[in-house]
Amino acid sequence: MGQQIVHRLLISFPALLGVLFLCFCLLQVVPADPAMIIAGPDAKAETIAAIRLELGLDRSIPVQFFEYILRVLRGDLGRSIISNRMVSEELAMTIGPTVELMLGAMLIAVPSGLAFGTLAAVHRGRLADRVIMACSVAGVSMPVFFIGLILIQYVGFKWALLPFTGRTGPVWDGGLPSLILPATTLGLVLIGPIARLTRTAVLEVLGADFVRTARAKGLRETAVIVHHALRNAMIPVVTLIGLQAAFLLGGAVVTETMFSWPGVGRLAVGAIVSSDFPTAQGAIMILAIAFLSINLLVDVLYVYLDPRVARR
Amino acid sequence: MSVDALDPTFVAEHDTGAFSRAGVLRRLARDRVAATAALTLTAIVLAAVLAPWIAPYDPYFTDLTKVMQPPSAEHWFGTDNTGRDVLSRVIFGTRNTLMLGLVGVIVGGLVGGMLGILAAYYRRLDGWIMRLVDVMLAFPAILIGLAVAAIFGAGLTAVVIALVVATVPDVARVARGAAVGVMGQEFMEAGRAVGVTDGALIWRYLTLNCISTIFVFLTLRFGQIILIGSALGFLGMGAQPPTAELGMMAAQGRDFLFMAPHIATVPSCAIFVIVLAANLLGDAFRDVLDPRLQT
Repeated sequence: MGQQIVHRLLISFPALLGVLFLCFCLLQVVPADPAMIIAGPDAKAETIAAIRLELGLDRSIPVQFFEYILRVLRGDLGRSIISNRMVSEELAMTIGPTVELMLGAMLIAVPSGLAFGTLAAVHRGRLADRVIMACSVAGVSMPVFFIGLILIQYVGFKWALLPFTGRTGPVWDGGLPSLILPATTLGLVLIGPIARLTRTAVLEVLGADFVRTARAKGLRETAVIVHHALRNAMIPVVTLIGLQAAFLLGGAVVTETMFSWPGVGRLAVGAIVSSDFPTAQGAIMILAIAFLSINLLVDVLYVYLDPRVARR
Repeated sequence: MSVDALDPTFVAEHDTGAFSRAGVLRRLARDRVAATAALTLTAIVLAAVLAPWIAPYDPYFTDLTKVMQPPSAEHWFGTDNTGRDVLSRVIFGTRNTLMLGLVGVIVGGLVGGMLGILAAYYRRLDGWIMRLVDVMLAFPAILIGLAVAAIFGAGLTAVVIALVVATVPDVARVARGAAVGVMGQEFMEAGRAVGVTDGALIWRYLTLNCISTIFVFLTLRFGQIILIGSALGFLGMGAQPPTAELGMMAAQGRDFLFMAPHIATVPSCAIFVIVLAANLLGDAFRDVLDPRLQT
């Protein structure tokens, strides 16, 4: 298992370098003169020269890239042009809410996806199956913001049941109501694909020999489905959740923007709109690294669920 | 023996029955859901193509005396915050949104398909191409869109680049998988034995046999690509006002959600219908052409 993880880490490394290089390009290479952008429109010539020296813009690109990596490793991501705070501080404030939102969404999506998928598989071809599958296709085709708009319009505004802008605080400190609508928006999008794959996986497993054995030795049907079928069907489902990580991340950016949720996605969008390059770069980097980490985590979980993978 | 006698498309068609056009259409027509989806999508595409002729009003004409009117006989989908006709804007917006999706899928499909097939044919390139694909997979499409918009500024180009980059790695994997299977077939060896050139082997023997798989995968992806494109539009990274694009129109309507919900709802519904029809049609294509891709 350890070997598997090391192997996976080695594969992630070029991807990580790619992420860093893209972010590096974002700040150092692409703007006509990054120093001028950072210094602002009416800066003195000395200020610009000082910033240029600080950023090492007089050196060759490979050297600059290497120094950039060293700076990132030290946690120095520069200073926001707009708020004048360190980008690392801004990120530290926004990561928590984003993680909270994603976990909340998963907490809604995974159990319901598994339940609906299993239900559809067990009632294959009958009404329940057809309804669940139809809803799942509809869910997959729904833009995230459409769900958000409907929830804001009805649950938030017309019925005034839950808050729909901003975050009142951490979940453990009275923040739960403000989390519900954003997390539901993001979670609803994921239920469809999870239910669909769970159905296929459970159907496949239900035909397997060990399920017949479990039934033959007189286990109750619920036990057969939950302990034998679902546990084995989890393997492809976990992979799918990994594949959905891109979806989850993209959805989080949209959801945060809609609900004014103070997360990394909203920080990135705001920074791009206001040409705050250092902040945009830091936020994009963190999101990309988060994506790589989720995939890594999924691979580890995969080995845990299916010990055969480790032995290969 | 002539090269034509070894024509691999001929072999494949008789082996699997895949891609015999008349058969596919007949089977699709028998599936009622697929037929409805196909008709809907055709109608939407026609409306988008014929937009300048069928839109009842100029999508950019503002009339401040008719601001935020609810749907009526005069304006079927109402008017927006500057008095523009929402129906006309949705028709033109569909045109832009579909164009983004099509360019993304076609360019991404060509590049990805080529990479995958080359990786399968030239074993030396395999490792390099697949590592490149892994790196590309490390960037979720929305992030690529954000990064490109940050570098070059928001606009339709940023969205197209993001959609292409989002399509390439997945298509490359599918194409490689299909091509590796074809590489193991006897006709490849036979073709090489009678002296068919690399170019002809890659195109006539390999690519033509992978095309139905790649095509099915792309139709399945099309809906997702439209969703990503409109999400980027919604975030303000795509088309800039006053250009009509469905995602951006939904974002603009959000500011008036409580006073005039139709401004945001109509373009969102349009995206939903397009993506739903594309997904249903993609599923049907897969069932008919390439059941192996089924999940």
